[in-house]
Amino acid sequence: MSAADRLQTTIAGLDRSRVALYAVLLALVAFYLAPLESGFMTAFKTPDGFRTTTPFALPPLGEFTLSAWGTAFDRLSNGLLNSALMAVPATVLSALFGSLAAYGLTNLSWRGQIGVLVLFVAGVFIPYQAVLVPLTQFWSFVDLGGRIPLALVADNEGLINLSITHVAYGIPICTVLFRSYYATIDDEMLEAARLDGASAATIYRRIILPLSVPIFAVTLIYQFTQIWNDLLFAIVLVSNPSNQVVTVALNQLQGSFVQQFNLQMAGAFVAALPTLVVYVLFGEQFAKGVAGDS
Amino acid sequence: MASRIFAALTRDEGSSDTDESPRREEPSVRTDGGTVTDGASDATTAAVGDDASALGRLRRSRFLESLPFWGPPALLVFFFVYGAIAWNFVISLTGWEGLGSPDYSSLSTEMYARLLSDPSFTAAFRNTLVLLLAFTVLSLILGLLVAILVDQKIRIENTFRTIYLLPMSLSFVVTAIFWSWMYNPTNGLINEALRGVGLDAFTQAWLADPQFKLAAIIFALMWQFSGYCMVVYLAGLRAIPESQYEAARIDGASTIKLYWRVIIPQLRASTMSAAVVLVVFALKAFDFLFVLFGVNPGQSADILSVMMYRVAFDRIQWAYGSAVAMVLFAMTLGVIGPYLYVQYRRGEL
Amino acid sequence: MARLELDSVTKRFGEGDGSVLAVDDVDVDIADGEFLVLVGPSGCGKSTTLRMVAGLESITDGEIRLDGDRMNEQGPAERDIAMVFQSYALYPHMTVRQNMRFGLEESTDLSDEEMDGRVDETAELLDITELLDRKPGALSGGQRQRVALGRAIVREPKAFLMDEPLSNLDAKLRSQMRTELQQLQADLDTTTVYVTHDQTEAMTMGDRIAILDAGELQQVATPLEAYHRPANQFVAGFIGEPSMNFIDCATEDATLVDGGFRYPLGDEVGEAVADAADVTLGIRPEDLSVDASADASGGDAAGDHAFDATVTVVEPMGDENVVHLSLADGPELVATVNGLRRIESGTDVIVSIPENAIHVFDGDSGDALHNRSLDDAELDDARV
Repeated sequence: MSAADRLQTTIAGLDRSRVALYAVLLALVAFYLAPLESGFMTAFKTPDGFRTTTPFALPPLGEFTLSAWGTAFDRLSNGLLNSALMAVPATVLSALFGSLAAYGLTNLSWRGQIGVLVLFVAGVFIPYQAVLVPLTQFWSFVDLGGRIPLALVADNEGLINLSITHVAYGIPICTVLFRSYYATIDDEMLEAARLDGASAATIYRRIILPLSVPIFAVTLIYQFTQIWNDLLFAIVLVSNPSNQVVTVALNQLQGSFVQQFNLQMAGAFVAALPTLVVYVLFGEQFAKGVAGDS
Repeated sequence: MASRIFAALTRDEGSSDTDESPRREEPSVRTDGGTVTDGASDATTAAVGDDASALGRLRRSRFLESLPFWGPPALLVFFFVYGAIAWNFVISLTGWEGLGSPDYSSLSTEMYARLLSDPSFTAAFRNTLVLLLAFTVLSLILGLLVAILVDQKIRIENTFRTIYLLPMSLSFVVTAIFWSWMYNPTNGLINEALRGVGLDAFTQAWLADPQFKLAAIIFALMWQFSGYCMVVYLAGLRAIPESQYEAARIDGASTIKLYWRVIIPQLRASTMSAAVVLVVFALKAFDFLFVLFGVNPGQSADILSVMMYRVAFDRIQWAYGSAVAMVLFAMTLGVIGPYLYVQYRRGEL
Repeated sequence: MARLELDSVTKRFGEGDGSVLAVDDVDVDIADGEFLVLVGPSGCGKSTTLRMVAGLESITDGEIRLDGDRMNEQGPAERDIAMVFQSYALYPHMTVRQNMRFGLEESTDLSDEEMDGRVDETAELLDITELLDRKPGALSGGQRQRVALGRAIVREPKAFLMDEPLSNLDAKLRSQMRTELQQLQADLDTTTVYVTHDQTEAMTMGDRIAILDAGELQQVATPLEAYHRPANQFVAGFIGEPSMNFIDCATEDATLVDGGFRYPLGDEVGEAVADAADVTLGIRPEDLSVDASADASGGDAAGDHAFDATVTVVEPMGDENVVHLSLADGPELVATVNGLRRIESGTDVIVSIPENAIHVFDGDSGDALHNRSLDDAELDDARV
């Protein structure tokens, strides 16, 4: 049998419904990727280019340019840096607090912990609008920059406030993520450790923490994405333009270059780049975080 | 994801795979001799597990032992979340406006009365409900369909899943910018595509026309979050044992009947958890609208979270904004409260 | 090495109306070096009892003493007790050596060399030296079981507590480990409390067994004593496989009556049951003798204690046959007969219930009114 014959039998053997299935799946890929692909192509076009071509088409010769990317990066670089300075510590701290709380509320059982737990879980869903006004009041009372005579603090007051705020509001979801993982840890193992003479702190340090690596990965990735992507807290809590985070900067870029879609699209990709990189590298963990089966 | 809780909470018995998990197969350790019914949950047992009366000392020491771990985070959460909400409520009872400080000496429900007679509140409230309902239902349906397709033992499943979930990892700011370009009346992909297939008559100024604004927003949000529903449903589908599909086939059920009568009814827990999370996302959809429309989306697309921001931070009517926020909070509570209660009763908290 | 005393130990979960009495007033005195097996059906409170001894569960009432010292208020770490769990509860991220060292590091001041010395010594004892650098995930069930034992032994505690340690092993490995565990305990001479729901383990392993049911201690005795002299019907039914036959009867003039079934009693037994109106007659399957019926052999179905019966089911076990019988007068019985004997279902037979082997229990309380007599040859056999 020749190779061509074999190919033909294979094709004939392919179930029609399988073909239809893959066709639909590919159509869905197009649906989910179209806005990104169109944006990506537009970002490489000159204004003439994106006005005269279909959004998803490759930039025509002569209408290709990288200038939008350059401008977008210049405009957003300070925001990127600020976002990183704010998001990384906030992510690490909220994950750590979440892990500690989940351990205290899951593996060390005591009466009434369910009540505390409910408050944590409910905290996940609080609409931030419900705390915005008191929050601005609170941070203006605290006035970190005024109280701590350090240039470092005064210059970055907005970022520090924002970071602490994100830690506090990130704790509930981190606790819940860790709790669902810690609930699968064998109780007998922790009891064995107690009988072995380990204190609660020792058990956390020597047993729980080393076993938490996968859930730390899930939580850090999810939490980083959330904090990086937030806009609401940032516009409310950060007033100093030099402290502006990237989402705010991107929103302003969008507002000030209304018809320059290439610049807007390039800006969107620049701002999304860290989360996109994280997603591409750790998509599995992200999906696990969403689905709840780490 | 917030959802992860739910996935965790609603994870029904057989859903985890058969890895080494002695705890699952051996609940008798705790309940041995103790609990009489099988339905007694871990939570209940744990709650009564630490004994009652005489040995308060031991119990207290367990409490004290765990306090250093959950205490500090709990303090932060209680202050920033619950303290702030209480404070917000008090502010909503003042008449605080403009610069200066709130006057806590005279409290009244005036702001709430004002809400009722404010047509922009009525519109925002209505739009919020429409958004909530349409967005949740559509995302669930699309997510379920995609999940069923992905569950057909396809090749490179991971790649498909990753692509479908990708929008979820993006910021609202980013997706709003993409969709403002998609919806662009002259050059946007949506209208281009309509023209491409000869449907010129259907091209619209999607984001400017009050008739289509809200629908356009819902469609874009569905694009962003249906992948999430897919993931939740997929986990639910994977928890259903293969033997059920086989049994139904042996019984002669068609594929559609199989899903409609056997599989989908078992996904109730997945639906519930996904729905709650979607509702919460919808209530928070502020960022998306703010990027597209600023503080004034217009009556046809205004929602409570945008209205709250506009009133409080644009018009600096703090007390009034706080009152709107309380309504938003009450709506969230209306969805979350019953859900948490059900979860608690089922011992799945 | 220690004497372990449980003095009126009670455990109640919850408070008020919803509370559950899991362990009710249990008294056991375990001698230094003794191997005590706590046995009972699942949910009887045996694990809870063990966990109270370990300090993992608080004690509602009563006292637990180790070498005379009250333990109630001591945390698990302070009691100098080691426990082997059903799930083995090994630390998955640590090697076998680290698993075994963990307890030494946390509860002793030994130097590194001393700890390693102890670990090596214990590993050798258990024949797991070559596993020391592996992690639990890379071990078989039987190997994990040994490591779990090693982790307990290496600490040289005052007492071992074992919670169904063999129940996750397959049948063959289980019986092998049973013997080994017994030997190990005898060599180490450490007081041991062993919890199981498996009556075979209870019979073969313990110096004494304590039988629990519904939180209440039924009997503490040597295995043979519990087998031959059960304190009540529960113990009689729980110990022994296949379990003892029971026939609910009324007493009429020193005769046990159940419908058409009539079992006359001799003076001694008759006197013991005289005060009870309702009793339960008990007889072990191996004490029934099954003979060919009159029709077939031409012999007489005579005798007060012989009954016509039909074989309903035969389960050949190899060494013995388990024969299910339906008596002409009603009751169903199970007998065991020699495995070489050919016996087929449907045949009519004569079943004899020898009076010297019967037990009689009170119909209400279940307490033993009369136990089989032990002054015949069978007992001597049993004692060998």
